[in-house]
Amino acid sequence: MILTVTMNPAVDEEYFLPEFHVGSWFRANKVDHSAGGKGINVSIILAQLGYENAAMGFLAGYNGEYVRDELRKHQITTNFVHVSGETRTNVFIVDETGNLETGIAEPGPYVPEEALERFLVNYKRMLGRANLVFIGGSLPPGVPQDIYRELITTAKEEGKEVFVDAAGVSLAAALDARPTFAKLDYRHSARSTGFLPTSLDNIIELFREAHAQGIKCCLASYRCYGEVFSLPGGVYLAEIDREKVVSMLGAGEALMAGFIVGKKENMSEEDHIRFAMACACEDTRHVEKGVYSRKAVEELMSSIQVDKLE
Amino acid sequence: MDRDLTSITQDRSIGEAIEILARHRVTGIPVVDEELRVVGFISEKDIVRAALPGYFDYLQDTSFIPDFGQFQSKLRQISRHEVSKYMTNDVDLFEEDDSDFTVAMTLVQHGYIRGPVVKDGILVGMANRSSLLGRILTESDET
Repeated sequence: MILTVTMNPAVDEEYFLPEFHVGSWFRANKVDHSAGGKGINVSIILAQLGYENAAMGFLAGYNGEYVRDELRKHQITTNFVHVSGETRTNVFIVDETGNLETGIAEPGPYVPEEALERFLVNYKRMLGRANLVFIGGSLPPGVPQDIYRELITTAKEEGKEVFVDAAGVSLAAALDARPTFAKLDYRHSARSTGFLPTSLDNIIELFREAHAQGIKCCLASYRCYGEVFSLPGGVYLAEIDREKVVSMLGAGEALMAGFIVGKKENMSEEDHIRFAMACACEDTRHVEKGVYSRKAVEELMSSIQVDKLE
Repeated sequence: MDRDLTSITQDRSIGEAIEILARHRVTGIPVVDEELRVVGFISEKDIVRAALPGYFDYLQDTSFIPDFGQFQSKLRQISRHEVSKYMTNDVDLFEEDDSDFTVAMTLVQHGYIRGPVVKDGILVGMANRSSLLGRILTESDET
């Protein structure tokens, strides 16, 4: 079983407007509400691709119940710790003319020490049933910024493969524990370090540092619609067709879910990348997050451009 | 089946069990070991019985009015005790492939609202009386 961890789930609200600018009043053309948070999205997409999985983390209030119910609809096993307050709402505004997205994320509910302790006990117990763990997303108030180090170390001690998609301090802590696969989101760290790796050379240099730390497989975004993968067989640049993009919300998690499936099915490196990118591409083609079907994903695989850089 | 694994281990406190019941808005949760094997069940009823041991049977009688102060003081006292002390040890377990009708009938006959579903003894979810009845109602005649 695949286990996903989302410490700070969300209800994602996406509003589509013909044109958006600050300081005015708008009526949305379309609205999409969905359960969110990186691990939650990965769980739902894995279920859509036919993979049994379990989701855990923290939930609170009415939003928490909504997230839990959405997971249940997909037959996903749940093991959340419920805390006081309200699971956060993330608002995304899509300007359909300029195809620009504006987002506002809430911090999430406060997680007290005893709830965190309960989560860690549950996590260790769930690891016994998992063979691969996905950990991702932001951390709610109360949870230590270096918690991912502990979660990855514990999973690795149990012999589990760990995939991570994080940013900033929590990513740095995660990398210390050498996960199997890491998505390096440098956009947030750029604010503190002043270093924004915009060129492929910069990204490859980051990969070298991660490999030196002992992380075998890495991924980083390149411009808007491309991803650079560094795998044992080489470094690859993969891009999707940007013409038919409707919404990018959840595309990163579709990519991660596709990459997990590729790993499970022992795909060749190029097919693995194509499948993961096709998942992301399929996700971008409609307002609703997630993929319509495995068939829809596979039909897009040939449209993914993959170039081996090294 | 609801694939929720919310549970507690027998060494945790009744206070924690009460908090989980309240936060998850459920009437009872399975008690499990480190491998998620079901070893018992703790419900609101078990906790009320523990707080009012001599009077529990009279609670069904509307003319019986328990002393709130005593109940509160006893509840606070037992909230520090371990779940193992008050849990039901003899639990009716359901298998994943049991029919909806069998599970619903067992729940109704024993007066349970929900019960643990296991696979090879490991907790995989919870059967819920109202969800099962709803599903039986809407199920097609062919199945």
